[in-house]
Amino acid sequence: MEPSKSVDLTTRLASLGVGLTVALAALGLRLWQLQILQADYYAQLADVNRLRVHRLPSPRGLILDRRGTPLVTNRPAFSVWVVPAEVVDPGRVLPQLARVVGVPEDDLWARWERSRRRPFEPMRVRRDVGIRVVTALEERRQSLPGVQVEAEPVRVYPFGPAAAHVLGYLGEVSPEELEALRPRGYRAGDLIGKAGVERAYDEVLRGSDGEHAVEVDAAGRPLRVLREQPGQPGHTLVLALDRELQEEAARQLQGRSGAVVAMDPWTGEVLAMASSPSFDPNLFSVGISEQDWQRLSADRRNPLLNRATASAYEPGSVFKVVTGLAALQEGRAASSSRFLCKGSLQLGRWVFRDLVAHGVVDFTTGVAQSCNVMFWTLGLALGPDLLAEYAQRLGFGSPTGVDLPLEVPGMIPDPAYKQRTWQEPWYPGDTLNMAIGQGFVLVTPLQVARAMSAVANGGILLRPRLVRAVVSPEGHVVRTFSPEAQARLPVSDQALAALRRGLVAVVDRGTGQAARVEGLQVAGKTGSAETARGRPHAWFAGYAPASQPRIVVVVLVEHGYRGGVSAAPIARAILERWWTGLRSARGGNLWAR
Amino acid sequence: MRASVREPSRPGALRHVDWVLVACTLTLVAIGTVAVASASSTPEQPLGLLRPRLVHTAVGLAVLAGFAALPYRTLGEVWKFAYGSSLVLLVATDVVGRTALGAQRWLHVGPVSLQPSEVAKLGLIVALAWSLSRRKEPPTRAVDLVPCLALAGPMVALVFLQPDLGSAMSFVAVAAGMLWAAGVPARLMGAVALGGLLAAPLAWPLLKPYQRTRLLAFLDPGVDPLGAGYNLIQSKIAIGSGGLWGKGLFAGTQNTLQFLPMQHTDFVFSVIGEELGFVGTIGVLVLFWVWLLRVLRVAASTRDAFGSYLCVGVANLVAFHVLVNVGMTVGLAPATGIPLPFVSYGGTALVTQLAAVGMVLSVALRRPKIRF
Repeated sequence: MEPSKSVDLTTRLASLGVGLTVALAALGLRLWQLQILQADYYAQLADVNRLRVHRLPSPRGLILDRRGTPLVTNRPAFSVWVVPAEVVDPGRVLPQLARVVGVPEDDLWARWERSRRRPFEPMRVRRDVGIRVVTALEERRQSLPGVQVEAEPVRVYPFGPAAAHVLGYLGEVSPEELEALRPRGYRAGDLIGKAGVERAYDEVLRGSDGEHAVEVDAAGRPLRVLREQPGQPGHTLVLALDRELQEEAARQLQGRSGAVVAMDPWTGEVLAMASSPSFDPNLFSVGISEQDWQRLSADRRNPLLNRATASAYEPGSVFKVVTGLAALQEGRAASSSRFLCKGSLQLGRWVFRDLVAHGVVDFTTGVAQSCNVMFWTLGLALGPDLLAEYAQRLGFGSPTGVDLPLEVPGMIPDPAYKQRTWQEPWYPGDTLNMAIGQGFVLVTPLQVARAMSAVANGGILLRPRLVRAVVSPEGHVVRTFSPEAQARLPVSDQALAALRRGLVAVVDRGTGQAARVEGLQVAGKTGSAETARGRPHAWFAGYAPASQPRIVVVVLVEHGYRGGVSAAPIARAILERWWTGLRSARGGNLWAR
Repeated sequence: MRASVREPSRPGALRHVDWVLVACTLTLVAIGTVAVASASSTPEQPLGLLRPRLVHTAVGLAVLAGFAALPYRTLGEVWKFAYGSSLVLLVATDVVGRTALGAQRWLHVGPVSLQPSEVAKLGLIVALAWSLSRRKEPPTRAVDLVPCLALAGPMVALVFLQPDLGSAMSFVAVAAGMLWAAGVPARLMGAVALGGLLAAPLAWPLLKPYQRTRLLAFLDPGVDPLGAGYNLIQSKIAIGSGGLWGKGLFAGTQNTLQFLPMQHTDFVFSVIGEELGFVGTIGVLVLFWVWLLRVLRVAASTRDAFGSYLCVGVANLVAFHVLVNVGMTVGLAPATGIPLPFVSYGGTALVTQLAAVGMVLSVALRRPKIRF
């Protein structure tokens, strides 16, 4: 035995032992990394491996008109989804998916990039695919891992453009909206109301999605249901809207730009609200195509704009209701007051001209003829601050608080405003302009309807309402809305009565005769508002029956020239429709509140 | 010179048995049995392959006892037979063997399916140990390596042609480890290793396409995630999701839902990782570590060179299998179809591995009293 050799063997064996120890320790470190440091990550991957979480989309709530006619419904459809984390080879899967489903590959990649931050959240590829696509996907199931087909209802607006602005439309939640809404259960790709009632009542309508978690094996075969949580369908909205009046209003506005509002003067319920030009909200239900969106957003007539609430106009002579009421209440006029109209008014060295000389008129006739000279006189007597105060009391210059998004407040100027904004003093000529609804005055048709309702109901300013009730999917009434008085006008019954006599005269023998309805006494005021460019806007604002008002109608036709010519006939058509409906419903009083 | 020709001490009492080695072996076999049962469990057969596994274990333990009782020097005397019959079996496999997973690895002898490459591993260890122990001087020159290469070369080639890349590599590893222990200078070892690396591309055309994909998939599992890379990804998911304590026996979702491929053979370690967690995987590694150190200790403590080399060969064989198998399941080594010793399901492998333990025990029993 030679010790040196033996030592050599021992060293070699020791080096083997050290080498093995190091190698095993390396494996141990790797296990530490996988099982301790990255355990959560792999646990999630394992869950995705074995879990297929299917969303059970809950149908959005229906929207009905005041008599139960569905204005918005859902129809069954299929959507294609993809779970990014399960797509291990996007370069192969996405092009194939885009081809089968029929979406542009670029779009799909763009959304893919966006959803990579949340790889376990299913991403919708396309809504409302046909049965052919569903079949094609099932056939390719093996080569398209992570792709799912789910039943998902699609929103239907049976009356298309007729109530588009009131009802609104849906769109996919934007990334910015999602940041705010995620805590409330919204997820990427969710459709949310983007306008109208769909937007204002989105949380009431949407309900909550259910979930269906299925354990699957490696081949994707479902083994058992791990968790099934039923969704909660959205609540149904019962609107105050009357489908027939709404359709009539939309029909009357066809081919013009303008708005119609019909309102119950005792409750503030909006019976009809139409805006023209309109659009088809069905286009948005499955995600609007780029082409359609371009067409809508590039249209200079702005079909998406709700002209009844989101756009303010010069009121013209319709504003004489404010001036008249202020004068009557402030004792500057009474029914019997007489005015001399020579067709013009001299103010210092300026002469303001009216179209015609009405001669000697009493207050009622002055309203009926829309005599500018009389209202100039009254306006000068009142002064701009009183005019502004009455206008504000009648609800102008501030939003009505209607349950619709994006309402504009309009504008009621006063000397302080002019100084502030234009750095100019208020001239008496500004008062003249204001007295007849020109100059800086801007109002929305809905504001006019609210003011007219106050005149009709004896001085109560009501919050306009589109929704009457919220009904649960089981049919229980969850919430009703009672009339909400926002203010009581500080005007006497005599002043109101005198004004109303004038408004009756407008339709009986004045500028608004085109609004007359057989057997129904209509009261109202016409307006022809000068605009910065183009022909004047045509207005009619009135109510009926004159003695016991049940409905207020406001019509605006942009550049319609004269209220009595283009707006009053529209009001007449709507009132006739209402009147016929009321008479045919005699016996069962469906119009009752 | 070492006492290569002197008769070693007579078999001692049971106190000479290396009980730590036995305990490690039995524990690993037991863990493997449970893991195999869990991995092969189906709703129809809740205990899966438990019964054949128990049969393999029983046979293996009997063989272990036999080899332990057998004076190991007898093996040296019949090394030609051991080596020769191994070669014959390998040739027979290449010619008439049954194809499994794209490779001819199985030979049917009556009712028994044999995997000759497993048996051949022992044959090569015996032959190399004998050859190295017959040397009077340590193999320090290149020419001294010729006999070893002549013994290992045909076996590597035959297994490689089956083709079983993993086993071929294990023959190389066993031979390299034994040469190292025999005192081949580091520089010469390095030169041979370098030569082997340079020659490796020559073997590339001989590889089957699936083997090339596997090697490529190891470099980048994303290459073919549902194919070659799939196993690696799923294995990492299984192990990683096990966390510290695991999901419990028979409760691993990756395992029971069949996301793991070959979960009772090559990927049984992934099942352990998933169901017994970090505690389980580290436990298994520690058992192997103790086992390997014990075998090396036996190698160091015997005065008989043949016995030493036998032990070194066995240790190298098991170490290579452990490192490559576990490395594969955690994504550190390519998928080459190397099972985990004592743990993976596979009759031939288990029986030969237990036989190897028997050989080590035989060496331990017949060594002189330990003095250091």
